Amino acid sequence: MRRSNVITCFVLALTLLALLAGCASSNSQICVRDPLERPEMRFDDTAHRDLFDDHVYFSKEATSGGQGVGGGGCGCN
Amino acid sequence: MQLKKLRPIGEALTAVTAVLVGSSPAGGAGLNQSETSLLIYSESNRVRATEAMFSLEKRMQSGDLLGLRFTYDGLTGASPTGESPSKRAQTVTRPSGGSRTVVPAGEIPTDDGFADTRFALDASLSRTVSFGTDISGGIHLSREHDYKSVGLSGSITKGLDSTMTSLGISVSINRDAIKPIDGVPTEFASTTAEVEEDEYGRRITNGGRNKNVVDAAISLTRVLSPRVLARIGYSLDYAAGYLTDPYKVISVVQPADGEDPGEPVEALFEKRPDRRIGNAVSCEIRTYTLGLFTESEYRFFWDDWGVTSHTAYLAIKLDMHEIGAIRPHLRWYHQNRADFSRPFLLQGEPLPEYVSADSRLAKFDAITSGVSYMVPTSPQTKLSLTLEWYSQRGDRSPPEAFGPLLAFSLFPDLDAVMLRAGIIHDF
Repeated sequence: MRRSNVITCFVLALTLLALLAGCASSNSQICVRDPLERPEMRFDDTAHRDLFDDHVYFSKEATSGGQGVGGGGCGCN
Repeated sequence: MQLKKLRPIGEALTAVTAVLVGSSPAGGAGLNQSETSLLIYSESNRVRATEAMFSLEKRMQSGDLLGLRFTYDGLTGASPTGESPSKRAQTVTRPSGGSRTVVPAGEIPTDDGFADTRFALDASLSRTVSFGTDISGGIHLSREHDYKSVGLSGSITKGLDSTMTSLGISVSINRDAIKPIDGVPTEFASTTAEVEEDEYGRRITNGGRNKNVVDAAISLTRVLSPRVLARIGYSLDYAAGYLTDPYKVISVVQPADGEDPGEPVEALFEKRPDRRIGNAVSCEIRTYTLGLFTESEYRFFWDDWGVTSHTAYLAIKLDMHEIGAIRPHLRWYHQNRADFSRPFLLQGEPLPEYVSADSRLAKFDAITSGVSYMVPTSPQTKLSLTLEWYSQRGDRSPPEAFGPLLAFSLFPDLDAVMLRAGIIHDF
C-alpha cells in the first residue's frame, strides 16, 4: 500500500472516530451547557487561523472558496 | 441524571443562542478584543512569505460590534511556470517579466522573479436585531503590485427558537482587477514572441483585466448534546472575467515520432475559461469529551471545470489549564485535475480551446500536520504558537507522459513549513 494511502486511511479513521465519539454522547438537553460556552465550541473562534489557512490553500490549491476569499489577492504563486 | 446545577432556562437559551449565532452573551467577559498574528511561510528552495494581521473588535455603545482588520503580506521566491523539464539545460523566458534564465537539465522551470507585497483592509459591523438574530455587513479592500480587489459582504444568522438550531446565510461580492507586471499576455502566444516596445525599449503593456467573484453560503448549526455541536453547509462560488493566470505557461514538446521526443521546443501562455462555478458541501463537528476538545470536518468540492476535491480535518485540543493547551491537528486534501489541465502540448497538434499546466489544477494529494500551543499570559491575554508542515505530492508521470519524459518528475512536489504566532487580548 502506498504511503499516501496509509496516511489517507489513518486520517479518515481518526475523523470517523471523532465523529462517532461525538454522536455517542448525543443526548439533547437544554439545561447544562457549560462546554458549549467555551470558545473552542464556537465556529468563529479562529478568525486569524482560518484566514491564514485560507490564504495558503487559496494560493496552493484549486478548490478554496466559500470562505469569502474571493478578493484574497492574486494567488498567482 | 443531573450533572450540575441547573440554570434558568432563559439564561441557558441565551448562552446556546450566543454559541449558535457567534455573539457574546450580553454582559459576558471580553466585550472588546484585539488579535495580532504573524505567519512565516517557507517552501524549500521556492516561495517565502511573511504575513501579519491585526484585528480589533469593539462593542459600541449602541450594542453593535465593529470589526477592523489590517493585513500585510510580502513574498519572494520562485514558482513553477508550468513548463516541462528537459534532458539538457534549457533557457526559458520568465512569464513575469520577459527576462531569461537557465534551468538545469531534468529540473522543472521556475520563475524566480516574484516579489510582491499586499495590503488589505476589512471592516465590518454586526448588529443583534432581535433575540437570536444577528446581521452584519462588511467591506474589503486589498492592493498588491499587480492586483486590486474591492468587495462587499453581508450575513444573517438566525436562531430557530428553542430547537437549538441556527441558520446562517452569507454573501460576498468582489471586483478584482489584475494588471500583470509585463502586461496581459496573449493567450497561446509564445513567451519568446516579439512584443511591442516603446521608444525606450520597454514593453508596451496590454492593459489589465477584471473579474467578478460572488460567494454565497448557507449553513445550519445545531446543538446535538451539551457536548456536541454540529454544522452543515453549502457554498456556491461564481467567478466571471479574466481567470487565466498571466504568469503560467505550457511547454510544447516534440512528439514521440519527433527528432528529439519529449524535448520542449517553446512555451505558450495558458488559457482558462472565463467563467467558473464551484460548489462545496461540508460537515463540521465539535465535541468536548473527557477533557478533550475535538474538531472534525469534511468538505467536498466540485465545479464546472471538472475539478473535485475532498478535504478532511481533525484537531484535538488538550487543555492543561495554567500551563496552557496543546492542539495537534491534521488535514488531508485530495484533488482531481481540471478538464483542461495537461502537463504539455505536442508539437504539431491543434491547440485546444483551453489549457493549463498549472500544477494547482492537476491531480495531487496534500497533507498538513501541525501542533499549536496556547497559554494565557494574563487573565485577559492569550498567546498561541503553531508549527505546521505542508506537503503536496502529485502524479510524477501523468498519463500523457511518454519516452524520455517518463524519466522526469512532471509534478513539482511542494514542501513548506509554516510558523504562526498570535496574541489575543480581551479588554
